[in-house]
Amino acid sequence: MSTPTGPGDHEESATPGMDRRTFLLRTAEVGLGVAAAGLVGARLLQHPARPWDRSAFPPVGRSRVAVLRATSYDRDLEAVVADGLRQVGADVRGKTVLLKPNLVEFDPLTAINTDPRLVAAAVVAFRRLGAASVSVGEGPGHRRDTEYVVSRSGLLDALRAVEAPFVDLNTAPLVRRPLQSRFTDLRELWLPDVVVRSDVVVSMPKMKTHHWGGVTLSLKNCFGCVPGRVYGWPKNVLHWAGLEQSIVDVAAAVRPDIAIVDGIVGMDGNGPISGERKNAGLLVFGTDPVATDATAAQAMGVDPERVGYLTEAGRFLGQVHLDELTQAGEDPGRVAVPFRLLPEFAHLRAGTTASAPPARSGKGSGA
Amino acid sequence: MSSALHDRLAAALRDARGPDGGFGPRAGQAAEAEPTAVAALALDDPAGRGWLADHQHRDGRFTVVPGPVESTSATALAALALDPGPARDRALAVLPRLRARRAAADRLVPHDTATRGWGWTPTTFGWVEPTAWAVLALRRLRPAAPEIADGLRVLADRECVGGGWNYGNRVVYGEALAPFVQTTAAAVLALQGAQPDLLARGRRILLERAIDEQGGLSLALTLAALRLTGGEPPAELEDALAARFAATAFLGDVAATAWAALATGPGLERLRVGGEP
Repeated sequence: MSTPTGPGDHEESATPGMDRRTFLLRTAEVGLGVAAAGLVGARLLQHPARPWDRSAFPPVGRSRVAVLRATSYDRDLEAVVADGLRQVGADVRGKTVLLKPNLVEFDPLTAINTDPRLVAAAVVAFRRLGAASVSVGEGPGHRRDTEYVVSRSGLLDALRAVEAPFVDLNTAPLVRRPLQSRFTDLRELWLPDVVVRSDVVVSMPKMKTHHWGGVTLSLKNCFGCVPGRVYGWPKNVLHWAGLEQSIVDVAAAVRPDIAIVDGIVGMDGNGPISGERKNAGLLVFGTDPVATDATAAQAMGVDPERVGYLTEAGRFLGQVHLDELTQAGEDPGRVAVPFRLLPEFAHLRAGTTASAPPARSGKGSGA
Repeated sequence: MSSALHDRLAAALRDARGPDGGFGPRAGQAAEAEPTAVAALALDDPAGRGWLADHQHRDGRFTVVPGPVESTSATALAALALDPGPARDRALAVLPRLRARRAAADRLVPHDTATRGWGWTPTTFGWVEPTAWAVLALRRLRPAAPEIADGLRVLADRECVGGGWNYGNRVVYGEALAPFVQTTAAAVLALQGAQPDLLARGRRILLERAIDEQGGLSLALTLAALRLTGGEPPAELEDALAARFAATAFLGDVAATAWAALATGPGLERLRVGGEP
């Protein structure tokens, strides 16, 4: 017999994007064309049309974010996380919650990954807020040996301490999802069923610079939901499809409901792997991942509207305009700690007039 | 080599077999080509080989899921697992056509742009692990294949500064990347008896680093690579593998369990370059 390998128990979804999570719907409408208007950040994508299914994305409105100080991973972190979630109105009562930290690689000398203590604290905080269940999933991009990453990083021990299950998203059962945005030519993605079926997906990135995308936050963190056994390690298919375009399409497919950015210790310079530790002492919360990333970028000294993929995501996926955000907690403009940017990304610095260099694909890398 | 450890691993692997004879990425999931291929090698398993033969595309390739992005990297491992015959011949015949694109010149990610190698999908350029499996399959089963030279050149080009391999790059943005144990072990397996300097540096990286990896897949591949390129590895590596399996069961990763069973048992001879095909 010569039968192509089928998806087996991998399901094909007939109703993409409509089977979970409605509590995030934004209600206030703003003009969709505003976000991309003539800004440097739009240079890479430059989609004059609207390459997304308008029925799948409610109009972008005003969003609420919170910036809280947290100078240590060892001091009352559960309470800080719970406070941040309350401040942005996250309602997880009775819901299944999947936390998606960023564990792309491990190096004891730097700060690549979302700190396991923060992940464990978030598990406890979501339970306190009434979540029906909380699990943690990641599909490491650089290391095929997931056990190595979760063990050496300390995540496995941290999760055992709070009795939370870990799901390897690189080996999980898959569901076929037609894309509802078309910034790439991918047309569809195979995603882990736990990502699709969880009521609430929480993107928990590390606050880092990125040598192909400028910054990597909750939207880029969604790459870890894409299974390596289909898209390879380091998921380089996404780079070949266009890094920034892929960030938008993957994030629009995953659609994180909540974002918590680990900026207690971040990474600047040649991130997301080879940069240097950067103490920002902040956690950023939001129920709109675009707004959360825009706020985190502001806290890094970056103008979010100069980040190409954030600008495009701001047209349909969330709010990128800082003046359309209700910011609780610390004022990100006041507490901003400028992250060192590679020269190629000097134009992202807030307040500068530098112009963007030619677009680069990052096809040679996966990080 | 501990037969007791192999027996435990093989028993766990058999328990993960699906009702159709194949193996999924985790027990209870639908079978896929890669875990089935490695399990069939480890267990010398006719049912696994039968599953592979039944799920091969007409042109010989194996894929994970249908769609515009096709991961074909399991084709080489399936060729190694299949019995001599038409299915194996088709898999070997298609391997050259699954080669990756050439990398474009990029000062930030310098590569030998004349090479191709193999990627996880044929739509990107070559990466270390899929290139290693294709080179291993061709060197063992089609040693005259002209594409072998290109694959070996890719491995030489991508070697990290100081030896070993990262996932596919040597330098990014001027930063020399550190070698990974798992990908280094894959490359060492592909280099059996070839390019002695590269091989020696790769073996040294494995001996220096593997004990600290704390990952079953990395330890298993290390044991396999060292055993096929220079005799019995240090006992503590197998002890570490046993300890990881006892502690985590490799997080339920069937491919890791299969590699561990393969590395600790007689099936490893099925990966020996120059051995009986």
